[in-house]
Amino acid sequence: MDSFFYLVMFAGAVAGASTGLLGVYIVGMRMPFIGICISHSAMAGTIYSILLGVNPVLGPVVFSAISSMSLGLVRPGRSRLDANVALAIFFNLMLGLTFLGIGLMHGSRSEVLGLLWGSLLFVRKSSVVIITISGLVFVVFAVLFNKELKVLLFSRTIASATGVHESFVYCLFLALCGLVLAVNLPLVGGLMIFSLITCPAAAAYQICTGHRSVIFAATIFGMASAVAGFLVSYYLDLPTGACIVIVSAVVFAVSVSYRALTKKTF
Amino acid sequence: MMGECLSLSGVEVRWSGRTILAVEDMQVRQGEFVGIIGTNGAGKTTLLKVCCGLIRPTRGTVKLDGRDLAELSAWRKANLRKHIGYIPQAAEYNAELPFTLRELVAMGRTSVKALLSRLNKEDYEIVDNWIERMGLSERRSQTFRSLSGGEQQKALIARAMAQDPEILMLDEPCSNLDFNWKYQITEIIEQLHRETKVTVVMVSHETSLLPSGCKRAVLLHEGNVLADGDIEEVLGSEVLERAYQCRIEMLTLAGRRYTVNKSRV
Repeated sequence: MDSFFYLVMFAGAVAGASTGLLGVYIVGMRMPFIGICISHSAMAGTIYSILLGVNPVLGPVVFSAISSMSLGLVRPGRSRLDANVALAIFFNLMLGLTFLGIGLMHGSRSEVLGLLWGSLLFVRKSSVVIITISGLVFVVFAVLFNKELKVLLFSRTIASATGVHESFVYCLFLALCGLVLAVNLPLVGGLMIFSLITCPAAAAYQICTGHRSVIFAATIFGMASAVAGFLVSYYLDLPTGACIVIVSAVVFAVSVSYRALTKKTF
Repeated sequence: MMGECLSLSGVEVRWSGRTILAVEDMQVRQGEFVGIIGTNGAGKTTLLKVCCGLIRPTRGTVKLDGRDLAELSAWRKANLRKHIGYIPQAAEYNAELPFTLRELVAMGRTSVKALLSRLNKEDYEIVDNWIERMGLSERRSQTFRSLSGGEQQKALIARAMAQDPEILMLDEPCSNLDFNWKYQITEIIEQLHRETKVTVVMVSHETSLLPSGCKRAVLLHEGNVLADGDIEEVLGSEVLERAYQCRIEMLTLAGRRYTVNKSRV
């Protein structure tokens, strides 16, 4: 095993951990669709960056930031539009823009189509640095705004009514959500990232008591899913993204079974 | 907050071209216990949400502590709402998350503390005190989702009180509870009002759930205020029969006011 193998393992572990942590908030706010929505915004951004010949990191960050901020405008009680419906509309728009961009491209489209599935095998040192920094930024945010995020998770309505700075924290969360998803997109892929956000967090919510244990469990489950998925794909010569998705689903199934078998009240 | 802590004037809320709430003039004084009653769809929850700034009226003014909510920035409005303890209906919160009871009650201290600051020993003493006052000390490490409906409601009251609010707004706090729990919860709310002098605005479609300490009722019907005044007068008035479209008799039993549908007796 060479240094590249360890680099890939590290990249997968960081991507899994950061998306697992992000999932705690996305799943807890009952908006798992947000992951696929923002990741498709990032995908559209990447395609238009390639089309316009600008920096390929700039497009996804700008697109995901715009869609995150737009989603932040859907306020509880202010709008009759449910957040999930808003997400679905955004998702469709971004998907349309993505395929429009693909249609406008000339020559080989394999690089662009790779964004759908992602590939840990095309990891570069610079991308590992970027995803590590974005992951750390999100961890710092989660620590600093821990008490506000807990109220938002429980109820955005209560947070808003009782003077928690809900709008500010929620918009900041969405912006960082966009950043984490955009930088992880080339590694994990627009379709795979959805499972890494939902499965580890959903598994943690099944078997944990207390918010802190959910955070640790989801982060570890995300990291383990990515690393185990990569090892399975490496040794069995199978597609990496598909293995990661299946392992994360297995983690969820195991936690549901554990809860059912132990009959413990969590 | 001194004197008049909440006032609405010329308030109208319109959705899809339809007026769902119209309140010409309403004031809530400090220390008052106001019951908001009315039929289903009368606009009770909308009124409560307008009062705490969750719904911005199409026209009119909502003043909290003498300050017009529409004129404040989101930041200043949040600072003003630190004085509101709000208990919504169950659909408004996620009871399935594995927060422990202590974590949930500690959420009440969030808006009291500055952004980026952490809860300290003193905050947790306040949290534990409210858990104890609600008789939930033995359940403090249990998850909120593992508690019974009545215990969850007590936990939400403890969360709101840990915030040290000046005005407590409750939206149907006894819905989906059995009669014994309904009695217990309303007793707790009355006791809190009596002991802490907190202003209470409580939505209820069952008049018997408004405790004897509630001296004022606002009757809503199809978004309009039909009556606003002494609770005995409102419950004994003809407008109540007009709102519910049946003959009503009010009975008082153990300090509770029960409205009976006479046309069906």
